[in-house]
Amino acid sequence: MNCAELEVLICDYVDGTLDAAHKAEVESHLADCALCAELARDASAAVRFMERAAEVEPPPELVTRILFDAPWRKGANPSGAHRWINAIVSPFLQPRFVMGMAMSILSLSLMFNNVRQLRPQDLEPAKVWAGIEDRAVRSWARTVKFYENLKVVYQVQSMLHEWQQQDEELQRPAAKTAPAGQLDSHKLSVPEKSK
Amino acid sequence: MEGSLDPDFSLVSRCLRGDEPAWEELVRLHTRRVYGLCFRFTGSGSEAQDLTQEVFLRVFRTLKTFRSTEGSFATWLARVTRNLLIDNYRRTRQERVTDSIEEQLPMIEEAGGAASVRPDHALAGREASEILQATLLKLSPDLREAVILRDLQEMEYREIAEVLRIPEGTVKSRINRGRAELARHLRKQKLTV
Repeated sequence: MNCAELEVLICDYVDGTLDAAHKAEVESHLADCALCAELARDASAAVRFMERAAEVEPPPELVTRILFDAPWRKGANPSGAHRWINAIVSPFLQPRFVMGMAMSILSLSLMFNNVRQLRPQDLEPAKVWAGIEDRAVRSWARTVKFYENLKVVYQVQSMLHEWQQQDEELQRPAAKTAPAGQLDSHKLSVPEKSK
Repeated sequence: MEGSLDPDFSLVSRCLRGDEPAWEELVRLHTRRVYGLCFRFTGSGSEAQDLTQEVFLRVFRTLKTFRSTEGSFATWLARVTRNLLIDNYRRTRQERVTDSIEEQLPMIEEAGGAASVRPDHALAGREASEILQATLLKLSPDLREAVILRDLQEMEYREIAEVLRIPEGTVKSRINRGRAELARHLRKQKLTV
């Protein structure tokens, strides 16, 4: 038996599954060959070490995740319309997006409203109507006020603009004649339209 | 497939007929094995979880290609897992080139240091598992997968040859070399018996 032949048998030798005849052959080779003896020694040392190692346990939630992943329902061929609807709606049904929307709505409501506890009497139709009317009146008043303010600002702006123009005219009285000359020369250069 | 003694065959048949509980049972039966293989190969819990999920998703999609005449379901599953692990290994090889050795070295040294202060036979269970994990990552993928399939997944040589699609003689040769290399790395850390 040479070393190459022995290499195939070492696995079974280390596992202890060789029959007596082969085992004797292997052992006689190992007694004569230092390299093969070292290989056999190392292999069995590694096997002994691996036997001591604890088995790897998957986290308990992994099975649930795998089962959730399996496309049982996704696999049932949806119709064309369903696929379209799914393609459009599914991005908005992602937990991240829904959470983001919820946080935005909460932030906006905190910005624009004074949050207080909702009481049963708040839901009475008369009260709800009064609330809506109150809000409408307030909003209208706010709009009118905004418009008035805008009008005042516009008037002030136009007045300032007018004054500015008057100032400019007073500071440059000679400026009126020069542009007139330029205008005449310009008129001369324009070709007359053929009749 | 129906007449076979392997309980997996009947589960697979039921899955192919759309039986959801059968799929659940199949997953429960094999998650540990697949996760173990992924964890031992990658050395990362989170990566192993992602890969295990991916394996079962691939199994779900390709279950109809499984032929009971070509071997057991466990062997077929191991082959699917192994192919995915090798794909993943090739995909992430570039990232590992820069950081793997530097990252693993302190862990290995620490493990070796801790072990050297106590008798070697005291090393067992979790601690041995961690040291083994760090040392396995030092083997080349070819040797690592052969050793994992034989010594940690306890597969037959014939089954490993089917999974890796190589002759049984080559399987044995890789296992020998893998075990010997593992022992040498352990000895460097004064860990081998």
